[in-house]
Amino acid sequence: MISADSGNRVGPKSCRCSAKDFGNELKPKWCPGCGDFGVMNALYRALASVGRPPHEIAFVSGIGCSSRIPEYTTAYGFNSLHGRALPIAQGIKMAHPELLVLVAGGDADAFSIGGGHFPHAVRRNPDLTYLVMDNQVMGQSDGQVSPTSAKGAKSRGSTQGSLEAPINPVLYALAYGAHFVAQGIPADLDGLSKLIEEAIRFPGFAFINIQSPCITFGDPDMQVLVQKTRMKKLKTEGHDPADRAAAMELAQASGDVLYTGVFYKNPNPPPSYGSLIASRQRTPALEPSDALA
Amino acid sequence: MSSPTLSPAPAAPGAPLTKKALTADHPTWCPGCGDFAVLAAFYRVLERLQYPQESIVTMAGIGCSSRFPYFVNTHGGHFIHGRSLPFSAAVSLGRDDLHVFVFGGDGDGFSIGGNHLVHTARKNVRLTYVIMDNSVYGLTKKQTSPTSPIGFKSKTDPTGAIDQPINPMRTLVNSGATFVARSHATQVNHMIEMMEKAARHDGFSVVEILSECVEFYEGAFDAGNPRKGGKFELVENHDPKDLEAAFRLANEAWPGRFGIFYDSPRPTKNALEKGLIAKARERTKGASDLELLQASFRKAR
Amino acid sequence: MRGLVIGIAGASSDGITAAGESLINAFAQEGYFATLSTNPGTQIRGGDVFCRVRVSTDPVLNSGGLLDLAVVLDWENFSQLSGELSVGPETVVVYDRRSGLTASALPLGGVRPAAAVAVPVAEIAIHAGAPTQARESVVLGLLSAWLRLPQKRVLEALVSRHKAGGDPSPKTYQKAFADAVAYAKEHPLGRAIALDPAAPPEGKRRVADGNEMCARAALFSGCKFFSGYPITPASEIMQYLQREIWKYGGSCLQAEDEIAAAAAVIGASYAGTKAMTATSGPGFSLQTEVLGLASAVELPMVCVNVQRGGPSTGMPTTQEQADLFAATFSSHGDTVRPVLAPTSVADSFDVTVEAFNIAEQYQTPVVVLTDRELAQCKAVLEPIEPSQFRVVDRLEPTKAELKRYARFQITDAGISPISHPGMRGGNYLAAGLEHDEKGAPTASGEIHAQMTRKRLNKLNPLKLRKDLFLFEGDLDAHIGLVSWGNVSGIAREAVRMARAKGVKVKLLVPRLLYPVAETIYEDFFATLRRCVVVEQSHQGQLHRLLRMWTQTPREFMSVSKSGANRITPEEIVRLIQAMEQPATDRFRSHYCDLLNVI
Repeated sequence: MISADSGNRVGPKSCRCSAKDFGNELKPKWCPGCGDFGVMNALYRALASVGRPPHEIAFVSGIGCSSRIPEYTTAYGFNSLHGRALPIAQGIKMAHPELLVLVAGGDADAFSIGGGHFPHAVRRNPDLTYLVMDNQVMGQSDGQVSPTSAKGAKSRGSTQGSLEAPINPVLYALAYGAHFVAQGIPADLDGLSKLIEEAIRFPGFAFINIQSPCITFGDPDMQVLVQKTRMKKLKTEGHDPADRAAAMELAQASGDVLYTGVFYKNPNPPPSYGSLIASRQRTPALEPSDALA
Repeated sequence: MSSPTLSPAPAAPGAPLTKKALTADHPTWCPGCGDFAVLAAFYRVLERLQYPQESIVTMAGIGCSSRFPYFVNTHGGHFIHGRSLPFSAAVSLGRDDLHVFVFGGDGDGFSIGGNHLVHTARKNVRLTYVIMDNSVYGLTKKQTSPTSPIGFKSKTDPTGAIDQPINPMRTLVNSGATFVARSHATQVNHMIEMMEKAARHDGFSVVEILSECVEFYEGAFDAGNPRKGGKFELVENHDPKDLEAAFRLANEAWPGRFGIFYDSPRPTKNALEKGLIAKARERTKGASDLELLQASFRKAR
Repeated sequence: MRGLVIGIAGASSDGITAAGESLINAFAQEGYFATLSTNPGTQIRGGDVFCRVRVSTDPVLNSGGLLDLAVVLDWENFSQLSGELSVGPETVVVYDRRSGLTASALPLGGVRPAAAVAVPVAEIAIHAGAPTQARESVVLGLLSAWLRLPQKRVLEALVSRHKAGGDPSPKTYQKAFADAVAYAKEHPLGRAIALDPAAPPEGKRRVADGNEMCARAALFSGCKFFSGYPITPASEIMQYLQREIWKYGGSCLQAEDEIAAAAAVIGASYAGTKAMTATSGPGFSLQTEVLGLASAVELPMVCVNVQRGGPSTGMPTTQEQADLFAATFSSHGDTVRPVLAPTSVADSFDVTVEAFNIAEQYQTPVVVLTDRELAQCKAVLEPIEPSQFRVVDRLEPTKAELKRYARFQITDAGISPISHPGMRGGNYLAAGLEHDEKGAPTASGEIHAQMTRKRLNKLNPLKLRKDLFLFEGDLDAHIGLVSWGNVSGIAREAVRMARAKGVKVKLLVPRLLYPVAETIYEDFFATLRRCVVVEQSHQGQLHRLLRMWTQTPREFMSVSKSGANRITPEEIVRLIQAMEQPATDRFRSHYCDLLNVI
């Protein structure tokens, strides 16, 4: 076992695993062509390259199409409650700091019902990797608008079109003070798997917003079109991921330009939650222990 | 404790709305609490606005500051911890003619109710939300709150808080609120100005007021109080429509600046819904509810 | 006298809570048994405050009924508290002379106390140099002299709470105390209220409240993770563990709301750790979502609900037993979760240990229904003997089982070994979706029926656990009582008092409330012609639960009061006496207000 403090940061590989070792025999219940297939494959590759064996990985999700993803991995999975994946993952990580803890879910899970938990996970900065598969629609419940649906977006569940301003996930994470914020697309499998790996290796809370089109209820033509015509790689744009203000400026282009890559990565990350907790456990008691006195 | 008071008489019809008509129960706050000043400022704001007394609604969640509606003689509600915004949003959307004010603390607004804040703000529901931030849980007698600074010692962090606190202004600017301002409970005139502007704003307006808890976090906001050796610096030379500039202001070092950080109206949910209803009504050509329903059954056959 | 009930009321600046704590600490050291209930009142700071101290040479079962001695520093506050501090014809009332009231003009709602004595509390405090802060010392000085308490001990307890070099100085407190003692000696009370001396204790007794005992029990059981959110009257559990749990290598999370707190607890349990959350009614409402998940994924967790007056925000600082329905039924779907309730401050320890044991053994969420009275009531406790308790750990898979591991394997007992992340070969998916033995999601009705049976039947052995019930009285009695939680302490005392008067009566106190142990109740009911369930809720929730599940005696009645209205042992004795009478209309209806019966 590696020390508690190192958390998700893994040095040398502790297993010789290939991407195949993280997939199981279950056939995903996603619609053919769903972006989540790509996310799943990118994740397998990233995990193989990180090299922690499946039994040392806890993979938590909420409820929704994308939250099915732990079912299709060989890791310990927890397909929990709508919106509650982050607090459950924090409980796991605090109780068992040596584990690699991954969290995944959709946009409604993260920003609607679970939106209250997100800023608090960010400010505690536990060593978790959070993958949000943002399809801008509530797919599993037949296509209602989600908090990331664009204003005016019509869907099967909302024929009048959304009246509301959408949430901008990347800006949201940056504004709450997250130390690792990135965006990816499943079409760029190689780029996404590298992004996931980088997030896993980041010592602290790492957030990746993945634009994963819903081909059944969403507007995949539009999403794919945007991905083809308006996608720009942050790296080739010359963005410095250590520049938080620049990242916030770029994040506001959401809807016009789809930037992929790392928006912000704190070059001097603060101590992770796990290390702060470990230091408390080492701190001499304030008062003599009196549990049974 | 004062005996429970029945609603005092409202102002006589046609008479101007005064503090006297607006005063209700005597506040249960500790002597010296910053919330007294917020209450006094709110009376002044209502005196200036002169809304009909019966169209004012004062709402709150749970916490010391959320006792607010008991002390204001208007329609009001003392609701569930963290849930005052969805409750009030529906009051505003259901009755667009009302003036809805919501009061609450930092735990109510940023912890248990943090999610509702973001969603009510982005929907741009027309109401005014006043957060009285004391950076501590006072009603439950001193636990760490989401705005308590790192190192703050409380009953739940006897060795000092380790969680990075919420930056309230950054969170509010980011929430999608169309009016965001900040004030300090020791600056009564400034508070009145901010709350009045917020009330006159057409959309979701929010004012964060640093309001000291003398019992459990004394001196928390001295850095922003000139009488305690601090500096009360106003927002100056700032374009309130500039989102990035607002974020920059929010990122300034403690105690930061006071004033309007962001003010950029966009259509309210109230107006958009009204439009939707008008459009739908137009298509139905004034048919009654029953006729519409009967038509839907005919279609079903 | 062998025992006394003392009530002190005043404004918050009068140091009433502190005076109560000094008294109970002094009593404990001297070998008495005692309880201390305090109430900060409805205001945040300021306003009405009271404390009630019951002291006796014998173990104290509850905090008592009518006061023997009432000390009133402020009449405005006292009149708010008549439900909690009741003055009767035997009560001696001592009050501050500054009120200017004559003995016959005291606002006691028509009750004529045995004596009413005006004393110069404020004057002695002013003379000592600290008009406000020293009032507590004056009260303690007066009581020490009149009750013949060891003054040195009381003074020590008093001075130890005030720092040397503080303002006012310890000398001020000492002076006020000494002056008050001198005054009391010059003005003996008209009626003797001196306590009999106590026998010296065997082991070192401690003073603790129910919340502390609950937190200690968690640590004793091996709980290594706690998460909660501030709420009255449960916050002290989190505060205790935030201070202590780190020393045991555990951790504690103050979450952003109660949903997150319960979710983090189930996460920790999934990771293989014993974990607990604690809350009160409003938070419990939020946590039901996660409790349902814990039942579905068969993960142990303990949820302490310190009941307070409800519904909604209700009465945060008063006690009520009205969350029984919420604890048993607040989950959608076909499920059962065990609900336990401690019967005293000391029992808060035993029941919490048992809650962990049941949670771990049966892989289920367990709700501990304590209440404000037990949670925030301090009591003098005998030392805990660890060897009297067993600690159960969850069943883990063997190496052989891990080779073909099925997390939700159907077994005879319904219990299947749990793995946790980090355990090679134990990988599984925990899902709120219905699942097969391996954890894969299913829509099969057959599997759903099988799994539901497994989750329900595994709890059946609990219904035979007689050790989760307390019994008192005559086995063959024709009249009996059932009571639970803190009210059971009042019922126990009443049964003893009634039996001392020659009445044959028995009492059953369930610490396991759900699932309902039908046979244990039916054995108890067998000799009964008339049975009354005494509890503190308007609906009589345990009474209704028993009618739903058991064959009850023909005359089976609920006698209850809403929260914040004290039930006294004397009332229950009168109830028992009424039950002895031939059948009347009063016993023919199912529900009755206590006062209507007696």
